[in-house]
Amino acid sequence: MKISGLASIPRHVLLAILTVASLAPLIFMVLTSVKSPDEYEQNPAGLPHTVTFSNYVHALVDLPTLTWALNSLLVTVISVAISTVAGAMAAYAISFGTFRGRTPLLMGSIAAIMVPPVVLVVPMFVTMVNLKLINNLGSVILFYSCLLIPFSIFFLYNFFRTVPSELVEAAVVDGAGPLRTLWSVVMPLAKPALVTVGVVNAIWAWNELLIALVFLQDERSRTLMAGLTLLQGRYVTNQPLVLAVATLSILPVAAFYLLSQRAFVRGLTAGIGK
Amino acid sequence: MTDPALVRSSAAAPWGAAADERVRPAGARKRRRQLWSYLFVVPAVLGMGFGFVFPLVTVVRNSFYAGSFYKLSFVGFDNYRFIFGDDVFIRSLTNNFRLLLTVPFMTIVALLVAVILNDGIRGWKVYRSSIFLPYILPAAGIGLTFSVFLQFNGGLNTFLRSVGLSSIAADWLGSQTWAIWSVGGVVVWQQLGFGVVVFLAALLSLPPEVTEAARIDGASWWQLQTKIHVPQIRTAIEFFMVTEAITVLSWVFTYVYVLTLGGPGNSSSVMEFYIWKNGFAQGSVGLANAAAVVVLLIASVLIAIYLRLRARPDAGARL
Amino acid sequence: MRIRSRKAIYGLAAGVAAVSLALSGCTASSDTPVASTSPSAATQGDDPENAALTYWYWGESDAPGANDWMKARIADYQTAHPGVTINFVEQSTDTLIGAFSTTAQTKSGPDIATQWATIPVLSQAWAGAIAPISDYVPASETDNWIGTQENTDKGKIWGVPLYVIGIPLAYNKDLFTKAGIANGPTTFDELISDCGALKAAGISPVGMGNKDGYFGAWFFSNFGKQQLDDVSELKSAIVGTNNIADPKYTGFYQAMYDMKQKGCLNDDIGSVTLDQGMAKFEQGKAAMAWGTDGLVTKWSKALGADKIGVVKTPVWGTGKLASVYNTTQSSTAFITSWSQHPKAAAQFLTFLHSPENQASWYAATGIFPADTRFDQTAIQTDLAKQLWAFDSSPGAVWLENYLPPSVDGDGDLAAGQVITSGGSVADAVSTFQKAVEKWRATNTDEVKNYTAWAGQ
Repeated sequence: MKISGLASIPRHVLLAILTVASLAPLIFMVLTSVKSPDEYEQNPAGLPHTVTFSNYVHALVDLPTLTWALNSLLVTVISVAISTVAGAMAAYAISFGTFRGRTPLLMGSIAAIMVPPVVLVVPMFVTMVNLKLINNLGSVILFYSCLLIPFSIFFLYNFFRTVPSELVEAAVVDGAGPLRTLWSVVMPLAKPALVTVGVVNAIWAWNELLIALVFLQDERSRTLMAGLTLLQGRYVTNQPLVLAVATLSILPVAAFYLLSQRAFVRGLTAGIGK
Repeated sequence: MTDPALVRSSAAAPWGAAADERVRPAGARKRRRQLWSYLFVVPAVLGMGFGFVFPLVTVVRNSFYAGSFYKLSFVGFDNYRFIFGDDVFIRSLTNNFRLLLTVPFMTIVALLVAVILNDGIRGWKVYRSSIFLPYILPAAGIGLTFSVFLQFNGGLNTFLRSVGLSSIAADWLGSQTWAIWSVGGVVVWQQLGFGVVVFLAALLSLPPEVTEAARIDGASWWQLQTKIHVPQIRTAIEFFMVTEAITVLSWVFTYVYVLTLGGPGNSSSVMEFYIWKNGFAQGSVGLANAAAVVVLLIASVLIAIYLRLRARPDAGARL
Repeated sequence: MRIRSRKAIYGLAAGVAAVSLALSGCTASSDTPVASTSPSAATQGDDPENAALTYWYWGESDAPGANDWMKARIADYQTAHPGVTINFVEQSTDTLIGAFSTTAQTKSGPDIATQWATIPVLSQAWAGAIAPISDYVPASETDNWIGTQENTDKGKIWGVPLYVIGIPLAYNKDLFTKAGIANGPTTFDELISDCGALKAAGISPVGMGNKDGYFGAWFFSNFGKQQLDDVSELKSAIVGTNNIADPKYTGFYQAMYDMKQKGCLNDDIGSVTLDQGMAKFEQGKAAMAWGTDGLVTKWSKALGADKIGVVKTPVWGTGKLASVYNTTQSSTAFITSWSQHPKAAAQFLTFLHSPENQASWYAATGIFPADTRFDQTAIQTDLAKQLWAFDSSPGAVWLENYLPPSVDGDGDLAAGQVITSGGSVADAVSTFQKAVEKWRATNTDEVKNYTAWAGQ
């Protein structure tokens, strides 16, 4: 429907306000991160008079920011890989296999997606202590992997069931086992779905705070999010520095989003359309 | 918030037991149960057993015990009695319900934005990208930024005063009245774009014929939206509201931890924060477990609603 | 279809129940204590010259310069003892108690840790997380340490005092002169009237921060003691023999409320942390601030030593403690019970008390070492002499040290925030009272130990 010129003005105003509101805190963050603490004190809201990157140098050289980022990367990559493999196998079995408990597994997965992690974290903490995994990235990787499985199953199942069963049956007739069929027939078709699962899960793992905060107490074993909150209490009189690290933590996610935006939005809304 | 449930739930294609049965060829059900199927689900079942079932059962059981992590003694319902008599817990619970008010607000604003974008307004993709961006960013980094931005003499108020709006420059994080609403504001800031994207996708997928017919019948823009478009994406709206309700009731720890640490004077504590504080900072594990069970019960109600929505026959058709 | 999905739910429920039963068996066994390290096991292989230690350190907020000093001492020590490595891990103020409490539950973590003196230390000792330093260091050494009584219970000294601080009220002489005030306030009424004069002159009177609750905690220590004749009265109110809601214990919230109402406090006190608030004084933007000896020394360097005056907290109450000072060791270093190298840790902590290290500590921070062997000729400036006179005055006490950690967090810190964020005195008192009641109701073991300790 074509909009008449007049009516479109208030709409653009509304959208512009929302856009500014969405971006303003981020701009504030970046601008603050290039101010010196003294300048921030004098001029908290305006543009910096002198741009300094010393906060970033401080963040990267004197603080374990890079170690934390590396920890986050490891945790994210490994737990996404584990949960995607486990999820894909289960989703394949649900789609093309027959076994008792198929429907409960699917229902359970859907329900589990919504279970708040805070409910699980106290018992898991005790378990991780008993497994001697506290302060070890393994604890977070293990728990994240488990937490990401239900969504992986659910999402991949929804994709797998759109795969024509003739394709699968043809492969079986050719003598391929289920693992072969999954790997060389279904997986190549499911690439977009796998990317979506990977992206959504990776962003979740990168952003998670509560579990990382509780399981990883040793400074060097922290993830970027947990380390970041630590700085908040430690550098209270140097807020530009804290926001420099905040900017660094947000940067990879924002860059990822901007680069893969189309796939991202398509993935997020995959099921809502058709 | 950047919790996966939201991203996930809407990301997901429709699922319903009925739809499922339709897709399966009749012959498949007669096939013998296959060993490989069982082997294939083993990793997932183990993972979910370890990551969900075991802690859920433990937390329920341990909510009847008190003491430290390693020295628990059975106290019956004492933990529950205590938390429901504890002002801080009640405050936390009410705060979660206060945050629930952000859900209708977000829904209405997101709908408004989505229908405008759906009209093909110029630059709609840019608007959509900008409004959606906050949703995927880490809540910890966002919260930190806001904790600086919202200080009484911080970025926002300095700006407000400079444009002559000092009367609305409140002490966003430092007053008992405002703190929890500031948390709510940050939640809205981050979640709104998700609603816009979900609704817009649903709107874009509507068959154009209906819109066309309505327009020929002389429907006004407003009638077109309220009578034709919005009712057709009802399912998407319901899903969004349920997932957001779960978010504000049980996924807001990061915001509170980073923005206010539950203060001032416990005024912005939420149930998750109460669990964390009692369980980890103060060693009152029994109280933490009992509070966790309360969260679980509330979440279960919403999860049940969510499952019903998923299983509804039209869920497959429209969502 | 309905029926099918309901069946599915029953199936799921049955499955969950089965797995749960199986796993509950595991939980039951996992609830038994993690093998507590027996002394013999801990000391096995405990060679003071061959150890890797982790030290959770906190001190910079009390004593600017402390982190660099500690890192330099660790470097010195590692050079002198090539078999020993010490991993320095800085702790944040807002998570100091919480982080250690969590790690203590795991019976693993640092070899040396830091908590605030008295109850925060002793409660960890009662919970079995601390190896008493007096088991590893002879009395001939510990007798020289100042403040060991703050962490003594059951005949043992549980931690090492490294420094002593007081918290005076500092004032900016220039700003005072501008407002026509000659001297720092000595009574609460003077404080309030000085605030008025300063405000009239367009000067922000006090710069403090309470987003983290520490302005309130300091206020509790400085004013909460003023109606008391003895600390034992507070202990009785904590365990319930006396009523904590009695104005004797919590009436000081009226004083805080008055300060807030009269405009003494900075307008953003509720949204900035203590450190951020005090920074206003250092920048010359506020005329007064409470600060530790170390902070005052730092401020005197920024503002000029002749520009800064210090007074004891103005007298508000009528108890015997109203006019005594507030000296404490503040933070305490201790060896954890699970450390595999307690001897190595003790040797390092003793090393920190060497004469050279005391001298370098004082030079780095302007804070007095907690040691009678400290060479007082190093105290040279007028300001330092004034601080030393305050700190060494008899009967000094830091009241917050006597609060159990959860009462401190839920009560002390939160109640102060109630006032600074615009709440009423009654709300603050009830917040404090409920925190005490919660502690009594839920921390059974700690209550038992506290009561026994308080009765000594």
